Amino acid sequence: MNSVYTVKQVNSYIKNMFTQDFMLNRIYVKGEVSNCKYHSSGHIYFSLKDESGTIACIMFAGARAGLSFRMQDGQQVIVLGNVDVYERDGRYQLYAREIVLDGAGLLYARFEALKKELGEMGMFAPEYKRPIPRYVNTVGIVTAPTGAAVRDIINVSSRRNPYVQLILYPAQVQGEGAAENIIRGIRALEKKQVDVIIVGRGGGSIEDLWAFNEESVARAIFDCAVPVISAVGHETDTTIADFVADLRAPTPSAAAELAVYEYREVRERMLSCVQAMRKAVYMKTTAWRAALERTALRLKFAHPRQKLNEKRQYAADLESRLRALMDTRMTDRKHRLALYVEKMKRLSPLEKLSQGYSYVQGPSGNVRSIEQVGAGDPLTIYVADGTIRTEVRSVAPIAYPGAENRQKEEP
Amino acid sequence: MAEKKKKQTLEEMFGQLETIIGELEADDVSLEKSFDLYNKGMNLLKECGKSIDEVEKKVLVLDEDGSTHEF
Repeated sequence: MNSVYTVKQVNSYIKNMFTQDFMLNRIYVKGEVSNCKYHSSGHIYFSLKDESGTIACIMFAGARAGLSFRMQDGQQVIVLGNVDVYERDGRYQLYAREIVLDGAGLLYARFEALKKELGEMGMFAPEYKRPIPRYVNTVGIVTAPTGAAVRDIINVSSRRNPYVQLILYPAQVQGEGAAENIIRGIRALEKKQVDVIIVGRGGGSIEDLWAFNEESVARAIFDCAVPVISAVGHETDTTIADFVADLRAPTPSAAAELAVYEYREVRERMLSCVQAMRKAVYMKTTAWRAALERTALRLKFAHPRQKLNEKRQYAADLESRLRALMDTRMTDRKHRLALYVEKMKRLSPLEKLSQGYSYVQGPSGNVRSIEQVGAGDPLTIYVADGTIRTEVRSVAPIAYPGAENRQKEEP
Repeated sequence: MAEKKKKQTLEEMFGQLETIIGELEADDVSLEKSFDLYNKGMNLLKECGKSIDEVEKKVLVLDEDGSTHEF
C-alpha cells in the first residue's frame, strides 16, 4: 500500500480529468431515449442507449430552451452537451444543452448549409425584395386545398375585402414531389398575372415543412415576377422560403392580412376625399359669393341715383337750415315790430288829441305855418271826440320864447 | 386609353386625388378651375370604385391547363 486516497480525492481527480477534456466539454451524442422523466423541478432525466449500452443524461430546467419537442422513450435524438462527473454517486453523465430529433438534425444541418449558401449568393438581400402592392385585385395562393391554411386565408381575406379575387393553386405541400408542385403553382399564378402570391402551409415538423427549404422552391420564389408572401407554419417555424420571399408572414392568416387591404378603410378614404373636395368647393363658392355681394354693394354706392339722393339730401338740409335761420330772424323782427307798435302807440295823434291838442287841416293839408293860410280859408280842426269846421279870419306871427314861429291857435 | 386608365392602380388614383384636393384647397385657384378639379376628382373616385369592383368574388381554383373553376 503505497498511498491511500479518500473517495473525495478520487472523484474530484476524475472530475478534473473530464472537465479538462476538450471533446467531452462539447459533444454530440446520438441514441434512443429511455427512462425519460420530466421532474417537477423542470429538470429532465433520461438515458441514451444504443445496442451496446446506455449513458445517463440530464437536462436542467435552465437549458430547456434547447428542447423544442416533447421527449419520449424510443425517440432517436441527438444531444449536445458535456460529459461530467456527479461526485455524490461517483458516476458520469451527459448534461444536455440542446436536443433535436435525429432525422431532423440532419435536415437542420442541410437547412443551415443552404441558408448560408443562398444568403451568400445575395438571394435574401433586401434590394431584391419587391414591394407588396397595397391595393390588390387578385391574390394567388399556393397551398394544400384541404388544409387549415387555405381556410384561414379565405376567411381573413373575405372578412377584410370580399371583392378581392382569390385564385388557389391546389398544391401538394409535403411528401414526394411537393417542391415541384409548389414551383408549378408559383409559375402558373405568375402567368395568370395575379397581383400577389401567398405560398405556404400550416405548421408541422421540419420534415413536413421541408419542401419550403428546397433550393428549387427558393429559386422559383426568387425568380417570380409577382411579389411573393411566404406563410409557412407557425411563427417559430422559419424556412428558406421565408428568407427568399418578398415578405414573410408568420402564419397563413397573417399573410392574408398583409396581402388583402381592408375594404372599409378604402371606402372611408374615398368618402373623406369626397368630403374634402365638397368642402373645398363649398368654401370657394362661399368666398366668391361673399366677394360678389361686396362688389354689388360697392356698385350700388357708385350708382348716379345714389349721388342724386345725396345731393337731394344736402339740398333738403340746406333748406331746413335756411328756414331755421329765417325763423329766428322773423321772430327777431316780430319782437322789434311789437316794440315799434308800442312806441308808435305812444306817438299816436289821438293820444295828443286826448291830451288837449288838436290837429288843424287847411286847403294844403296840415297847417304848420301862417304862410299856409289866408283869411277866409276853410279849416277843419280835429279834437279828441270829433271835428270842427271853421274859417280863418286873420293870421299873425308870434314869437315863442326860445322857439321859432308856430302855427297860430284858433281863436 | 381606356386600357391605360384601367392600368392605374388604386394607390396612384389616391395619390392624384390627394393632389387635386390640395389644389382645391389652395387659395389662389379660380372658380372655373375649382369646378374642373372637382369634376376630375369625382371621376377619379368613380374609377376607384370601379377598380375595387364591388362584386363578391368566389374563390377560384387554377387548373394545370390554366383554366379555373370555383373552389
